[in-house]
Amino acid sequence: MRILLIEDDPLVSDAIVRGLAGAGYVVDAVGDAESVQSRLDITHYDLAIVDLGLPGEDGFTLVRRLRHDGSSLPLLIVTARDGLDDRVNALDIGADDYLVKPFALPELAARCRALIRRATAAAANEMQVGRLRIDLAGRRAIDNAGRVLELTRREWSILECLAHHSGRVVSKERLIQAIVSWDEEISGNAIEVHVSRLRAKLGESATVRGIRGLGYRLDDA
Amino acid sequence: MSAVSRPRRAPSIRGRLLGYLLLPLVLLLVASVWADHRTYVTPLYNAFDRALSHTVLAIAAHLTRGPDGQVHLEKPDSGIPPMPPNSTAPPPPSDPLGEHDKPPLRFEYGNRPSLWTHLFPGGRESFLYRVNLPDGQAVAGDQGLPIARGGGGNGFSYNDAVYKQLPLRIVSYHTQVSGQPVIVSVGETMHRRDRAVRRLDTLIGLSDGIQLLLVLGVCLFGITVALRPINRLGERIAHRQPQSLQPLPVAPVPSEVRPLVQSLNTLLGTVRNAAQAQQHFLTNAAHQLRTPLSGLKAQLEVLAGETRDGAQQERIARLHDSVDRLAHTANQLLALARAEPSAHSPGDFTEVQLEALIGTVADSMLDRAIARNIDLGAECEPAHVHGVLWLLHELLINLLDNAIRHTPEDGRITLRCGLHGGAPYLEVEDNGPGIPISERERVRERFYRAAGSDGQSSGLGLAIVEEIARSHHARFEILDARVGTGARMRVAFPSEGMKEQVLTA
Repeated sequence: MRILLIEDDPLVSDAIVRGLAGAGYVVDAVGDAESVQSRLDITHYDLAIVDLGLPGEDGFTLVRRLRHDGSSLPLLIVTARDGLDDRVNALDIGADDYLVKPFALPELAARCRALIRRATAAAANEMQVGRLRIDLAGRRAIDNAGRVLELTRREWSILECLAHHSGRVVSKERLIQAIVSWDEEISGNAIEVHVSRLRAKLGESATVRGIRGLGYRLDDA
Repeated sequence: MSAVSRPRRAPSIRGRLLGYLLLPLVLLLVASVWADHRTYVTPLYNAFDRALSHTVLAIAAHLTRGPDGQVHLEKPDSGIPPMPPNSTAPPPPSDPLGEHDKPPLRFEYGNRPSLWTHLFPGGRESFLYRVNLPDGQAVAGDQGLPIARGGGGNGFSYNDAVYKQLPLRIVSYHTQVSGQPVIVSVGETMHRRDRAVRRLDTLIGLSDGIQLLLVLGVCLFGITVALRPINRLGERIAHRQPQSLQPLPVAPVPSEVRPLVQSLNTLLGTVRNAAQAQQHFLTNAAHQLRTPLSGLKAQLEVLAGETRDGAQQERIARLHDSVDRLAHTANQLLALARAEPSAHSPGDFTEVQLEALIGTVADSMLDRAIARNIDLGAECEPAHVHGVLWLLHELLINLLDNAIRHTPEDGRITLRCGLHGGAPYLEVEDNGPGIPISERERVRERFYRAAGSDGQSSGLGLAIVEEIARSHHARFEILDARVGTGARMRVAFPSEGMKEQVLTA
């Protein structure tokens, strides 16, 4: 997996390169937005990490330009600015995620992993959550031992919805919307039953965590 | 000079205008009553004298000279008494003198001006009369009555005199009865005409006073109407959002107040620029602080991963903790500065769904809670507030951060939102040790750190909550947990109705 880092601060840049290298990524670092295009022309990247406060052309403009040019490269913004206005703005213009400085390297690595996974899933119709492989096209889940899990239609829909938002809390209402068609009715209790059955079938390969009053989250085992 | 001086009451323009009008108007009233008095007192006295002279003529008309050459006062016959020379006919007395065989020594005067009778009924006065010959020989009446001296036209003389302790106005008439000269005198008590003058004075004074009050009323009305633009300006200022730094409109303001409004607008402009400069500063400060901290933190993490030496790792971990604390404090300081009312504008206020806010915040903090095996959950009822989204986000982050810090492992934290009596609220309840009542005010202070708080706390979290709550007109309360030990942090927002008041007040 190859990542392009656009960051002007050498200390931050160096730490990210080395930190992500430890997580198994190859990171090329550039110091300004102007040299991005030449890099993209010669190398395939799975993700770009963009600092908003760049000298010259800033991160916002770069992201907007990349999206305008039709690039589907996953973009993770890191910034020293806070305030949700910036976040809304960053996501509106086409960034995929947003991280405020100072951040912990493990969190950066986790966000990168999630973004790359999502992009890969979209491309290959397959997702990897923990030791669970989810084949979106075949509508089946394969556990760490290579066994295909026997899931009901509703259990599969729940797993698919959770996997699309893995690492994030998915509310019960959203799960209900994901598993029922418009003429069906289903209660919150029914969701709980489906989830507990799904949990039993997943075993050690991935965890469906119940968050009281908020919903469920699919975590790497 | 006393050290504690009572504040003077603010002078009002209306009060001052009235004060400056009242004194001259009262002086004017006194002067006008005096002038009126001077104008009517002489004609009035003359009229009384004339009326008195008519009485004299009436008496004289009843004088006859007998065959013995003596003059008598007789009971009147029907018919018109003889006219005295150079005199107009007197009005016939309504109470003729000859009711009795002999005229009374005193009689009640009934022939008063009819208006006067109407205005002051019951004003009965005493009259005295005397008829005598020029040599002093008595004919009729009270012979002690003084005779008026001095020449008047057509035989009348007028004089003031005192008789039997009564101040009298006396008129004497020199005439002839069948060739015999006689003097007819009539005295009338003075207090009758004095009272007339007094009553006129009172009437004039009253009517002038009523005029004065009317004038004052009209002035008051005029002042109120004239001051209305100033009141409207005051209302416009009061109705603005407290954070608004937009200039006031100058157009509808009267020219006298315009310099004041212009100065105010200059001031608002200065404050606006200062606020913008502060925002600019904060953005720069955030960038300049966070970028090196970010580098430092990431480098330490890389270093920790590369080192195999346990002692080194321990040191790096301590350094890392310090950097985290520094980063946390920097973040909190920036958040506090951003929470101040001058740092955001009314345009930042939008409809914020509390349920969604709790979902976002819980999601972002879930890993920290899970790391300490804390059961983080929520109990949400639909509720929304009019607020600044990212400030409310910051508020809830700080409440939850505080709760996670103070909740032991395997603890339980519940986020709540909903409506209480129509007013939206946000609540974070933990089952930690709670906050003693004596500490509850102090923990809101900046940089205050309660005994037993961990080294990571900046002492700013609850101060940020307090500041953000205040900028939303909300109340930040620290309560006991509903069950068992623990703290319940509650932010109570104003209800729909109260919010209207807050926004328009």
